[in-house]
Amino acid sequence: METTERSVMERAEQPPAPPLHAEAPMACTFQVKNLSIWYGEKRAIDDVTLDIASNGVTAIIGPSGCGKSTFIRALNRMHELVPKTRVEGQVLLQGEDLYSNTVDPAIVRRRVGMVFQKSNPFPTMTIGENVIVGLRLNGVRNQRFLDERLEKSLRMAALWDEVKDDLRKPGTSLSGGQQQRLCIARALAVEPEVILMDEPCSALDPIATAKIEELIYELKTKYTIVTVTHNMQQAGRISDYTAFFYLGRLIEFGPTTKIFTNPSEKQTEDYITGRFG
Amino acid sequence: MVTPKHILGTFDEALAALRNNVLMMAGLTERSLERAMKGLVNRDDNICATAIADDEEIDQLEKQIDKDGVDILLRFQPVASDLRRVVAAMKLSSNLERMADMATTIARRARKLNRHPPLAEVDLIRPMYDHAMSMFKDSVDAFAREDVDLARAVVPRDQKLDDLNRMASHKLVDRMAQDPHQLRGYLNLIFVGRCLERVGDHATNIAEDAVYAAAAEDIRHQTAAVSV
Repeated sequence: METTERSVMERAEQPPAPPLHAEAPMACTFQVKNLSIWYGEKRAIDDVTLDIASNGVTAIIGPSGCGKSTFIRALNRMHELVPKTRVEGQVLLQGEDLYSNTVDPAIVRRRVGMVFQKSNPFPTMTIGENVIVGLRLNGVRNQRFLDERLEKSLRMAALWDEVKDDLRKPGTSLSGGQQQRLCIARALAVEPEVILMDEPCSALDPIATAKIEELIYELKTKYTIVTVTHNMQQAGRISDYTAFFYLGRLIEFGPTTKIFTNPSEKQTEDYITGRFG
Repeated sequence: MVTPKHILGTFDEALAALRNNVLMMAGLTERSLERAMKGLVNRDDNICATAIADDEEIDQLEKQIDKDGVDILLRFQPVASDLRRVVAAMKLSSNLERMADMATTIARRARKLNRHPPLAEVDLIRPMYDHAMSMFKDSVDAFAREDVDLARAVVPRDQKLDDLNRMASHKLVDRMAQDPHQLRGYLNLIFVGRCLERVGDHATNIAEDAVYAAAAEDIRHQTAAVSV
């Protein structure tokens, strides 16, 4: 049986992750350069420069309204769905400027998948259809290929064993945690390079949250993951890097262990220790 | 720099209570060591008995601090400086409890010494005691005031205490050869010296924890790390 559960010994046998230091050269999936974003007159992101490491988890933290979600949505141009949006600066994905005139936003969103706060399976579709809908929309018709990708995606999302006999049931028949993993499977099915997660566990109970966190731990070996979270403990558990935003500005960015034991900026310290405002 | 209030008032209260218990435990440990030394120098069995009795209260405080620390970790899951303060407080209490055990041992050895004629070599113990207590007080002050410089300055002072103990031990061993009738007495003084040397080690630990709590820097075992 495939499962995301792994023993301590199995984990111990893995070679240790290389130490991550903000200053050290690292392979970057995203290079964000002087990014500013406006919604009409309101500046939501203010001159943010940040490199996001490949095959790691980067957590974005900060109080409500600090620009976390705008920032993460800017990484796959999802924020452009809001009217009167304006962007300055660059977001380079593997060196390619996502905001270049020649880049199709639909292609960007295929390369950079997204999972939202509230699970959103398509209500009229079955579990199986939900997973492969992205491929179908991209013109894939080969049923054998679709079946293989369906199983592979559900296995990667640690959901296969729970739903393999119910693929024709509606996606909405699943529990909240299962629905969220279904959405992750849907994002994985189009084989993105990056997965963005906007508070993926905020509506889940601790058991479902643990499953998603285990899944993130597994997925980061193959994908670059950027997640927004309000849960400091979760950021500490799952992420390799943490970025603290406040009033649209990046206040501090560094290895998670550093941020949560000895942050350099007083604003970060005050926020994570609950002494903000 | 004033630390802003936590959004949860109960967290600040819990952290303050933990810190107050640690400082109270440090005060009791200091008193216990003073009493043990007084019992030795003044040959007073009653004071020795008081020092031994003090240990019970200190043991209970250690358990209370551990319980409160675990409670804070469980309820508030502190991070950054708050986490370091809680961890340092719990480690401090462990060191203080061991120091209080040293006071008890000194008091017990003093009672044994009191049953025999006085030994002039007790004077060898005094400078060790003064040095150990000075290290102890400074390390606790450094923790209480989050004074990194003071804490750092405590650590190298342990070498002098080790030297004093070594010199005293050599002298006492010589005296054992010259005056074998007082062999037990000299042996007891060697044990007292060793206790004070251990007090210095615990003071060093406290100073190292104080640096960690205030500056997030681990300064333990630095000479060992260099030589590896």
